[in-house]
Amino acid sequence: MANRGYDVVVDVDDHEGDLGHTDLQEDLEFHSSNFNDTQSSKITPDSTYQPPSSTSGSSKRYLWTLSFYAQFFAVDTSHVLHRCFSALVPRRPFLDILDGNPDLYGPFWIATTVVFILFLTGTISQYLASHHDQAFIYNFKLLSGAAGLIYGYTAIVPIALWGLLKWFGSGNAPGESSIGLVESWALYGYANVIWIPVALISWSPISVLNYVFVAVGFTVSAVFLTRNLWPVVSVTEAKVSRILVIGVVVAHAGLAIAIKFLFFA
Amino acid sequence: MAMMPSGTSGNPYDSLNNTQIEQDLIDPDDANINDLDDPTEPTSDRAPLTGNIQNSRNPLPQSYLNSSIPGEDRRAPQNTIDESVWDTLSRDVMAVWEKMRQVLWPKYLLGGFLQRGGGLGGAERGEGDSLAGGFRGIAGRWPDADVVLQGGMSEGLRDWDLWGPLVFCLLLSLLLSMTASSEQKTVVFSGVFALVWVGEAVVTAQIKLLGGNISFFQSVCIIGYTLFPLVVAALLSAVHLPMIARIPVYIVLIGWSLAAGISILGGSGVVKNRVGIAVYPLFVFYVGLGCLCFIS
Repeated sequence: MANRGYDVVVDVDDHEGDLGHTDLQEDLEFHSSNFNDTQSSKITPDSTYQPPSSTSGSSKRYLWTLSFYAQFFAVDTSHVLHRCFSALVPRRPFLDILDGNPDLYGPFWIATTVVFILFLTGTISQYLASHHDQAFIYNFKLLSGAAGLIYGYTAIVPIALWGLLKWFGSGNAPGESSIGLVESWALYGYANVIWIPVALISWSPISVLNYVFVAVGFTVSAVFLTRNLWPVVSVTEAKVSRILVIGVVVAHAGLAIAIKFLFFA
Repeated sequence: MAMMPSGTSGNPYDSLNNTQIEQDLIDPDDANINDLDDPTEPTSDRAPLTGNIQNSRNPLPQSYLNSSIPGEDRRAPQNTIDESVWDTLSRDVMAVWEKMRQVLWPKYLLGGFLQRGGGLGGAERGEGDSLAGGFRGIAGRWPDADVVLQGGMSEGLRDWDLWGPLVFCLLLSLLLSMTASSEQKTVVFSGVFALVWVGEAVVTAQIKLLGGNISFFQSVCIIGYTLFPLVVAALLSAVHLPMIARIPVYIVLIGWSLAAGISILGGSGVVKNRVGIAVYPLFVFYVGLGCLCFIS
């Protein structure tokens, strides 16, 4: 009996190359029953090994890979629409709506939309103001000017604000309602939504109407910014926080005035 | 001293060294002169090679988009050395034309959606038997996210080139700079040129960032070919089409470009909830360029 079993073990050993089980007599049944479907027994270890390696690969995000930046675009269409709407009609604090998942999709494409609409309506406004005895020729520099103004403001001011908050907020409780750089960008980016309707309607040559529209745009976005920045800014000293908020409002007023006089003069 | 002898006599490899390898060695002295090729003799290895080239002088392969030799020039038949320059050029031009047709022909628009739905003809042959019924059928089959994602691209677009994008980008820049003011011609040309390429790259990168699994240059290729309707728009602007007539025509042309450009999303793996924000960059790109044509 033992002799026969030994022969079987040698046979299995040749095919599978599995030396670990040859010395156990009670493994005989297991091996001979497994012998027919060696293919399936060889695949299962592979499939169980695969998931850990893939998850560890995706959790490592390097700065130069596209997947690193994909985390800033992890939003759905409904998220973006909801954020745009709540930037126009603020009910809850915007940082709660962001919910720890600030995106850069909104800031970039809202800014791009504003740039093109400002260029188009600014050109229409110039066309309406021009003398019609000669052919109207558009000014291409309006496009580069709009791009520089909107992209520059939306990119640089949040960086400055974030840096100042890091600098002044470091003395207080660390991590206490501080604002991240991406959140700061998202806040400023979604504040630009109001300029889309404002720019769409203020192409008319009526100067008073344009002042009113731009003032409405400035008010809505400035209120949105200060309301959402105040809890973050107020962790600093009282004087510093007041200066910061005033600085934010003044910078935003600068943007509004630039829009008014560059495009809807 | 006791260990050394194993190096000389006990080494198991010694037997190999001495016997087998010696047999396998080819000594040049053993070679027969008849085994070597005589270069002057016509019955050498070259004879089948010449025959090969002559055989391949036959007509083009089955599809001129596919080379018979994998890895060779993608459209060339086997010999390009003794054809006329015009043949070489026209093959490339025809390939550009064929790709443009595959991108822009209504049969392929929206990722072949119109074709599957029976197209315009199918809608008109429908039960309504009237033009209104046909239009209602098209409107009823207005593509939603599922249709956009299901559409695949046709096989001819699998191998991309950048000829079409380059040609259309240059044409667009040229036509738009012709209508610009005299001191801004260079600015407009370089600005539009950069706008097109940067826009194509940004739109593609945005779709990839949203989880779309598309090839970068293939997407750039398709977006570049879809600039053709905008080139038509720029041409109409260059011949000073009246402003009132521009509005409907340009809306149609921009819609044509957009419908063709959406096909890059077909089979890209973008999540269904994100199709809206993946299409929006394309929309901004085409509408922006269209507005530039409009005011030129």
